[in-house]
Amino acid sequence: MKALRLSLIVLALVLVAAVGGALAQETTTTETAAEVLVTTEWLAENLDNPSVRVIEVSVQPGVYERGHIPGAVNFVWHTDFVETLVRDIVSPERFETLVRAAGINDDTTIVLYGDNNNWFAAWGAWIFNIYGAQDVRLLDGGRVLWELEGRELVTDAPVYEEGTFTVGEARADLRALLPDVLAIVEGETEADLIDIRSAAEFNGEISAPEGVQELAVRAGHIPGAVNVPWGQNVNEDGTFKSVEELTELYAALGIDGSRPIVTYCRIGERASLTWFVLSQLLGYEVAVYDGSWTEWGNTVGLPIENPSGTIWGGQ
Amino acid sequence: MVEATTGGGTLSGAAPASSLTTTALARYLFAALALIAIALAAYTLHTTPGRGARASFALLSGAALGIAFQRGRFCFYCILRDFIQRRDSGPIYAILTALAVGGVGYAIVFGQFLPNATAGRLPPDAHIGPVSWVVAAGGLTFGLGMVLSGACISGHLYRLGEGYARAPIALFGSLIGFGLGFFTWRELYISTLVRAPVAWLPGTFGYAGALAIHLTILGAIALLLLRFVPELPARPAGRITLARIRDSILGQRWNPLLTGAIVGLIGVFLYFRVEPLGVTSQIGSLTRTFMTDNGWLTDRLNGLDTFSGCATAVVNTITENGLLIGGLVAGSLAAALASNRFKLSRLTVRNSLTALIGGALMGWGAMVSLGCTVGTLLSGISAFAISGWIFGAAVFAGVWIGLKLRLESS
Repeated sequence: MKALRLSLIVLALVLVAAVGGALAQETTTTETAAEVLVTTEWLAENLDNPSVRVIEVSVQPGVYERGHIPGAVNFVWHTDFVETLVRDIVSPERFETLVRAAGINDDTTIVLYGDNNNWFAAWGAWIFNIYGAQDVRLLDGGRVLWELEGRELVTDAPVYEEGTFTVGEARADLRALLPDVLAIVEGETEADLIDIRSAAEFNGEISAPEGVQELAVRAGHIPGAVNVPWGQNVNEDGTFKSVEELTELYAALGIDGSRPIVTYCRIGERASLTWFVLSQLLGYEVAVYDGSWTEWGNTVGLPIENPSGTIWGGQ
Repeated sequence: MVEATTGGGTLSGAAPASSLTTTALARYLFAALALIAIALAAYTLHTTPGRGARASFALLSGAALGIAFQRGRFCFYCILRDFIQRRDSGPIYAILTALAVGGVGYAIVFGQFLPNATAGRLPPDAHIGPVSWVVAAGGLTFGLGMVLSGACISGHLYRLGEGYARAPIALFGSLIGFGLGFFTWRELYISTLVRAPVAWLPGTFGYAGALAIHLTILGAIALLLLRFVPELPARPAGRITLARIRDSILGQRWNPLLTGAIVGLIGVFLYFRVEPLGVTSQIGSLTRTFMTDNGWLTDRLNGLDTFSGCATAVVNTITENGLLIGGLVAGSLAAALASNRFKLSRLTVRNSLTALIGGALMGWGAMVSLGCTVGTLLSGISAFAISGWIFGAAVFAGVWIGLKLRLESS
């Protein structure tokens, strides 16, 4: 009997050690992810945490208003994050006012989420990073997962006491402008270019998805770019793939972080999702070319690649 | 004399409570089946990935609206005709009540959605349209089309459930009208709409001010119309029995104030949960998709997608608006069966042709006005949009002219 009891205890200890070890290992491998991603469960537990501020950035108007995560404030991507007349990201002054109105301080943990797989929430995260926010995270799975899990949504727009957030000098290393990209294409700068649009757009079969307003006169892609449609970054439920899977995915295409990376899309926002994956989850050096295809494809004299041979103006 | 105001041919009243004949039993059975079908569809939608609660809410709201429209005879044409031809303003109070309740509800919801009304932003997707002569022309044409075809678009939808044979023809006509609207859109947009102000009362007066103006105007109209309300019939005293309840719900036409309040509330709930109430978005989208697929329209229509209203898009699915319309027809069918108001009406060459032409006029009017008597008038005015008031006044003028010109056919 004694022997049996002893062996049971030993077995239990071994099990505990094994589970503990596995857990410990998991925390170490996803350590990077844990700092920039929050789970729906974590967020649900931290809704009352005064040092956490939740921001919704959705593409569809009316989505936030008809129900959002309790305490979340609404940032409108097409007015709050841009200077519409000059086509540029929001000015530092306006951004500071906006962020302070949301009750955000320099040490606030900022959690962004939105519809459409966090497309525009990731874009918001990019802008927060550009202006020097210290702790910017995304809700893994975004709005879709939160809704799918049947978690609480409210409709009241919260009002916060003005925060003390101060914008830092805009981080130029996170943003690629047209001359930077041209330098890559001409071989003066060493960097990997990633086009996150659909394969049909990349190959020049179509110039843009149906129904969109913002177009380029030429179809195709920037010479030397690799096509990794944004959807490859996420699982079916909208959560990001694991760091291991993502590392493998990009390594198979020759992108391993050994060189700087520039991501682009059509109008500049979705590229931020891949920027988030590569820079925040994998720790690579990445910039977003927010001029994207609507700038490059429209600019006179710039080289493009167009595998399908569709010619501007041709029938 | 309630039956005389139906506009849907001669109809018999509900059978007395005591005699449940075989036909009456069959009617109740089919009405129950229609309601069960709606419930099952709503349940299925709720559990379908990519659909969910919004979709079933739209369907159920549509059904509720269909029942209220049918039992209260909430038909804009019949209501206006009763006033213009018979000087009976009673039914108009349904519209006024819907607008008053809708305005109060919208003010409440707006206050939550967009706390600061005067900051220069508009509340999300509310039906606040551009103010110009175009919405007036649209309303006038729509009013003429109502007289010609025998009902407005929502009227045809609920009367489809009553067996009104002209309804499908008029609705088909409205598809053609939408097509004509798309062809004229470009010209109207470039010449006028691009510069037309999108005027919204709370943007200037705040929510309280806008609601005060809204209720004052509606109250003034209600007061002016009071002398045209006919003498009410005496109601016999008595206990509330099941037979009496059944007669109130299924026998009598619902009181205009009750009907209006229900319609107003559904509009508010729908805006809060899904989108502003409207019935032409799916119809217009059907036309736009068909025309785009056949190369008759370009992918984008200048400016159209930048306005709020009963938005049309190139879609190949049933939208939530489509579910609402489906629910409306099914709900009206159930109500018509249960209250013995279902009767296939007769078609003639003349009344078919006028239904088709009237439908086309309504389609054009609804396209250029970004909605019909429900989307632009009801949801627009409830949302404190100037465009809604102009459209409403123009529809009234159109119906008036149409009746003076004797354009109606039975």
